[in-house]
Amino acid sequence: MASFTASSVSLSSAFCSFKQSQASNLRKASVSFSGKSFPSHRLPLPRFRVSCAAKPETVNKVVEIVKKQLALPDDREVCGDSKFQVLGADSLDTVEIVMGLEEEFGICVEEESAQSITTVQEAADLIEELLEKK
Amino acid sequence: MASTVKYVRVPPNSVSLEEARRRVFEFFKTACRSIPTIMEIYNIDDVVTPTQLRAIVASEIRKNAHITNPKVIDMLLFKGTEELSNIVEHAKQRHHILGQYVLGRPEITPDTGTKDQGSEYLKNFFRSNYF
Repeated sequence: MASFTASSVSLSSAFCSFKQSQASNLRKASVSFSGKSFPSHRLPLPRFRVSCAAKPETVNKVVEIVKKQLALPDDREVCGDSKFQVLGADSLDTVEIVMGLEEEFGICVEEESAQSITTVQEAADLIEELLEKK
Repeated sequence: MASTVKYVRVPPNSVSLEEARRRVFEFFKTACRSIPTIMEIYNIDDVVTPTQLRAIVASEIRKNAHITNPKVIDMLLFKGTEELSNIVEHAKQRHHILGQYVLGRPEITPDTGTKDQGSEYLKNFFRSNYF
């Protein structure tokens, strides 16, 4: 997780990210990996694609939006692996959830990626990917 | 803006139900992405939130969810796109938007104490012509 965020420090150090916690994570990572990544240079670091690297607060935000959209009661358990179909969403609901996430995180989801989202975890991963690309 | 309402020309008919579905989702995404513009044009920030508008658009689409003929779906999409482009290019006014889409929905504007409508017969009468 730390190396994953460190590899994106050099590229995203110029951007101010939305969540202050994310920025502080990046800053902390750059201190510990000072030998590897210099914020002023753009070193071609190998990009570590860790698939389960979505941050918990992202997943929590996604869960919250999903619950509000599908009008689920608060005690209904929604975790990373819950599929939208199982929670009672039809395809239009899925698109609406993706739209809600777009608005919440300020990203723009592409066509193909949007079709493949079936679980909460996938949505969170996609959001992370798009946030770091910005 | 990422996807403005750019086509009011008629694209060729959908071949299958699957393509019609895809077009419906495209239309829904376009509508959702133009919601911030709409809210700014008509100054409805104090009446509804973007989330509520999204739910309204979704419910309008869902009203026709039972249709299976791709040509009918294309026709409905055409009408929907026309309506959306009318709204976005400010051809409508605030009271049109509010009256057609916002008011009268129980989630958004709860009935502020309906007056005593009388008997059950009258209540049904006020609701619709056919009962």
